This record gives sequence, C-alpha cells and structure tokens, in this order.
Amino acid sequence: MVYKGRRLIHIDLDAFFASVEELLNPGIAGQPIIVGGGPGRRGVVASASYAARAYGVRSAMPTAQALRLCPQAILIPGDLEIYSEISDQVMALLKEYTPLIEKVSIDEALLDVTGCERLWGPAEEIARTIQRRVKEELGLPSSLGVAANKLLAKMASEEGKPGGLLVVPPGQEAAFLAPLPVERLWGVGPATAQRLHALGVEAIGELAHLPLDLLEKEFGALGGVLYQRAWGRDDSLLTPHREPKSIGHEHTFSRDLTTLREVQRHLLDLCERAGRRLRGHRMRGRTITVKLRHSDFTTLTRSATLPHPTDLDQVIYDQAVHILRREWRPGMRLRLVGVSISNLTPRLPSQLPLFDQREAKLSRLNRAVDEIRERYGDGALQRASLQGAKESL
Amino acid sequence: MKLSCLQENLSRGLAIVGRAVSLRSVLPVLHNILLATDQSQLKLSATDLSTCITCWLGAKIKEEGATTVPARLLVDFVNSLPPEQIDLELVTRTQTLHLKCARTEANIKVIDAQEFPLIPTGIEDRKITLQPDALRQMIEQVTLAAATDESRPILTGALADFQEEKLTLAAADGFRLSVRSAPLSEPVPEPMKVIIPARALQEVGRVAAEEGEPVEMTIPSARNQVLFHLAGGALGGPIEVVSQLIEGNFPDYKQIIPTSYNTRTVVDSKEFLRAAKIALLFARDAANIVRLQMTPGEGEPGSLTLAATAAEVGDNVGQIDATIEGQAMEIAFNGRYLIDILNAIDSAQVALETSTPSSPGVFRPVGDEDFVHVIMPMHISR
Repeated sequence: MVYKGRRLIHIDLDAFFASVEELLNPGIAGQPIIVGGGPGRRGVVASASYAARAYGVRSAMPTAQALRLCPQAILIPGDLEIYSEISDQVMALLKEYTPLIEKVSIDEALLDVTGCERLWGPAEEIARTIQRRVKEELGLPSSLGVAANKLLAKMASEEGKPGGLLVVPPGQEAAFLAPLPVERLWGVGPATAQRLHALGVEAIGELAHLPLDLLEKEFGALGGVLYQRAWGRDDSLLTPHREPKSIGHEHTFSRDLTTLREVQRHLLDLCERAGRRLRGHRMRGRTITVKLRHSDFTTLTRSATLPHPTDLDQVIYDQAVHILRREWRPGMRLRLVGVSISNLTPRLPSQLPLFDQREAKLSRLNRAVDEIRERYGDGALQRASLQGAKESL
Repeated sequence: MKLSCLQENLSRGLAIVGRAVSLRSVLPVLHNILLATDQSQLKLSATDLSTCITCWLGAKIKEEGATTVPARLLVDFVNSLPPEQIDLELVTRTQTLHLKCARTEANIKVIDAQEFPLIPTGIEDRKITLQPDALRQMIEQVTLAAATDESRPILTGALADFQEEKLTLAAADGFRLSVRSAPLSEPVPEPMKVIIPARALQEVGRVAAEEGEPVEMTIPSARNQVLFHLAGGALGGPIEVVSQLIEGNFPDYKQIIPTSYNTRTVVDSKEFLRAAKIALLFARDAANIVRLQMTPGEGEPGSLTLAATAAEVGDNVGQIDATIEGQAMEIAFNGRYLIDILNAIDSAQVALETSTPSSPGVFRPVGDEDFVHVIMPMHISR
C-alpha cells in the first residue's frame, strides 16, 4: 500500500572504509587514505577518505592510478570482516527507530519513519539524532537525506555529502530537483544523459518540462519513468528483507592459481562461506555455479543442478569440485574463483527427514561449526586442509 | 470412421481418459484423444507417455476408422451438448471430424491416428485380481504419502510388493510413509516387487471407486509396464490403465517403522481431524507446525492437546479426550500431514504411537492391522 505523506530517511556513511581505518588508527585521521588492493596486485580503490578525494581519487579507480594522483596517500588493504561488524552496529542503532529498514549496501540504508512522529518527533529530528549518535557512539561521519520517497531521500543525502543533512519538505520535491544536473537523477547514465543533452536538457527541471509523449518516443518505457522521477515521484516501497536469488562468494587472487590442488582448496573455503550464509538465511539451493576467470580475463561459469535442495558445505563442495575437474585443463591460470548457489527455497523449519541419515549428520555438523564460529569468530575452527590458505583482501 | 453414440457415454468416457492428456507435452498429438472403432465399440485413449488410459463404450459403428481430436475442445464441446445421440464422421480428405448432436454441428481439425503412440491393451494369463473397494482404499491411503516433486523420481511411485497371498503397497515422500497390505484372492506364483507411479494408481483408484467391478492387474513379462483392467459397467465396455513402472530401488522402509513406543494415544478420528483442521488455520502461517501434548489421566480419561501459534496471526489450543498408555509427552507435526492421514482413515478411532519428540510418530487405525502411517516430527526448539 502506498499512502500519502511518507517520510523516509536515507543514511550514507561517508567514505566508510576509510573512516573506519581512521577510527582504528587515530594517528592517520585527516590524511589521504586509500582502502583497496595494492597497485602491483592489480587492486582497485574500495574507498578513499575525503582528503584523498581532494586529489581526484575515486572509488573503483585502479590503485596504481590513484597513487599517481596522490602519491602521499596511505594505502590500507582493508578488512571486510571489521567493516561488516561495524556496519551491523550502525544497522542495529537504526533499528531502534523503526523496523522498516532497507539495508542498501554495507554503508547505506533507508528508513521509513512514517508515523513515528509521536514516538520520536518529526523525521528531520530523527535524522539529526541518528547522525549525532552514529558520530558520538560509533565515531562515524554520515550524510542523511529526508524526503517523501526513496528516490528523493537518496538524492538528498547525496547532495548533502559529506556530513550533511538535507530535508526535502513535502511539496518541494520538484523544486529541489529542478536545478540539479540530469546526471544526478536515478536511472540517467552517461548514454541517457548524452541523449538528453542533445535535446537541450541540462537540469532536471528542464527534463520535467519536456512533453511526456516526446520522452516516451525518445526513450520508450524509460521515458515515462524519467518523467515521473524528474517530478520527484517514486512510489516504490522499502524492501526491509530481501530474499536473495542466489548466494555466493568469489575471490580474486593476488597471483594466479596454477594447480588444481590450490584451486580446490580455495573452492572449499568459498563453499564453506556460501554454505554458512545459506544457512544463515534459512535457505536451501539446488543449483551450484562455479565461476572461473582466467589470467586473460576470459570468464567461464558452469552450473549443475542437484536432485534436491541443500545447505550443506560438503554437498555444495562435492558438486563444485565435480564441475571444476570437468573444466580444469593443465596449464590453466586462474585469477578469480567463485561459487554460488541459486534456485533457492526456504528451508522447511526443522522438518525431520525419514531417510538421509548421512545428510542429517552433516547438517548437525555444519550447525555446530556455525555456532562455534558465531561465538568465537571465524578463525576459531578451520579445516586442516585450509590451514594457511586464506589471503587478505 | 463413421459412428453414433450417446452424449452421456461419450462425455463420461472422455472424462475418464481425459485425465491422462498432457497439455504440457511438446508433442501436439499428445494433446489429443484417440478415437477408434474397435470390435463394434468406440475406443478412447489418452496418454502422457508415462500413463495411458483407455476405455471402450457402446456405439453404433457404420464405418471403421480412427483419428485423434484435441482433448480440450472435444471435452468442452461434448459436455455442452444435450443428452442425445451424437453422430461422428471423419472426413479424411480435410482431416476434420464432423460432429452432430440435435441441432448443433461442428467440425474439428484432427491429427492422423498414425501419429498416436501405440497403446498396449488386453490382459495376459498371469493376472492378479483385486477387490475394487479394498484397492481404492489402499491406493488412497498409500499414495497420499508419495512425493509430488520430481526431484527423487523413485518417491513419486508406490512400491507394490507381492508375496504369496498378500499385496503390500508403500509410499514415502521423505517426511512420511504409508504402508498398507491386503489379501490376494489367489497366491502369486512368485514374489514380485514393482514401483508404480502414484499418479497412475490414483487414476486406477478413481475409476475403481466408480465402477465397483473387480480389477485385474498384469505385469507383462519383459515389459516395464503394469496394466489394470476394469470390466466397467455403465459405459458398456472395459477401462484400462497402463503405466510405465519406475526403475530403481525403493528405500528400505521397514527399518523406519518403529517397533516400540513410550506413549500410545487413542483418540476419536473425527475429533482429531477437526482439532487438526482448526490448528492448521493458525499453523499455516508458521510453517504448519502443530504441537501435540499427550497428558495421561489419573483414573479419568487423559487428553490430547493440539496447539498452533503464528507470531503475526494469533494462536489456538484445542483439547480432545484420549486414552493414553505410557508417559506424558510433547511432539510437533506438520499440520497438513496430520490432516492428510486423518482424512484417509475410515476407522472410528486412531492410535498414535510416539517415543521421543524427534523420533517418528506412528498412526494406526484402531481395529485395522493392515495399515500403518509414519510421520517424522518437526523439531521444536525451546
């Protein structure tokens, strides 16, 4: 149901990975920081502090290029586990205000606070409290946007970056958007932007005043969407909990893997991670897909479908290895290996099976291992065959 | 082909064979029903290549022949006609079937009968005779436990185990198991085990219930098929169901049926069913979990309590009188499975034998030694 007068907050943690590194090591605060893979290891920038951005460093830029722009930058390999842990803490704080939260990514979330006024005050006040608490309690800077829908809340937080809080008052939606360049609008990529420029459109306000039929003629179905967005209209609802379509893990190696033994070892690790996440979602999957990227970047994906859904590491791994062995040729050099499970169905909660005693045992084993890792950390328990196999990010 | 028959008979025959038509098949001819003259009767056949149903009905044959007609159109058309005589004539030149009934006429495009798969008919000497009522009940009680998804083909079938003077039918879907045995009128010459698709058995059960005639069964030597033959009354001719057997080894179900119990609960079947239906109204929003609590009475009748809770809907508790032997206990089952089995039990009372919350529950109709149904519980934490 879509109702009038919605109030949404979008929160984006500023230069998240870099900010966490500043927290962990206060001595480097304020300096240009780049979190990402090493330049010799064909790494890319995952996150850059604002001090580094001043030199033109951007996310997803090859690290080598970033270091040429800003040679004095501090390069940190980063630790995804710590970042997810801190991200969880932020999400937990947000949950104190509303259960209607859509986690957009590790450093971004949308909150629907419609109807929360009597509890927490107006949306703007909630946003201000959240921003202050995230800074005081977790030490992280953030940008927030408050508006009547997802589109505007997200664009508002973007405009306020870094450290801003921008409110789009009800009725001011189109006015807020009008002066912004069309490139900022959701769904307008470089190609669409170019075609809009050709029509003489630079600002979103100009786009809003193009005739709808012209837009539809020019862009098809997207034309109608662009028109609605240009007027700040977006009825899409929050999806507080997204059912994943597939669950998987992949890893790019700093040096190519050249032996089947090595690849299998890493595949086992990836299957264990994927299996654990699958169980965490209380899902089972039937299709196992293995992804292999060669040193020349050609990528191959191969799938196999099991007779019935599973969430067991061993079953996933057996199938993945089967696929790998079929595709493996001596002399292969792999830079990336990935495994994913799709064709997901929810696990029947605890319906005990008549047959399959082996699977019941494996299932108990997986759950016991999950619990130990949950309590004592991922490193608490490891397969002997995986000793020393892990690489840092 | 040219013939006349009664609308009621044709409609009834089409309803019987129509269930075997597979509208999802990629072979267009399998969307059709075969009409053929056969020894002064009209023969109707349909198949999905796994199961095939054939019936014969009384007709006035003026010219021999055969053709295949799109099932959906033919069935809907014939069902819409008044209960009078229908004249059918195949116009070979245009491959069209002309139908006429009272003041309605139609022409339907056909596919040549040559394209229709050959369907085995006729009963061999080595036949087994089964009583229709016993067979219908057996099929109903056993096939409810068969798997409906194709991920493990073996479990979509029922194991038919012939030993001397007894037939035992068993099916399991991985969470529950049904086993029923019935005496045979004559002993089989040698023991035999086959896996018959549950869907085919259900068709046999449905027809057997309507016809009330003994059912003959043949497993032709060297063919991986089973054939059921019903004398058929109302139609004026027999009905046959032929099915491919499923190859493979059926799981060893005997070891799954517990031989002892800690608690035996005897309750009125209808009351149990009613309580289970009410519990499922709530349980369906919570993975169908229905909790059963057995409380033995001290000198008075004990009780069986059924409870279901759905966090976002509400909860329900229902209690029925029970005669309980052994200790108090609590166990949870999928409510849908409870309803399936209780619907299929004819006896006034049912006994539920349980040992621990994570070991199988055994359902037995009181006074009927030949049937046993096993359901694996749902694990209840906290």
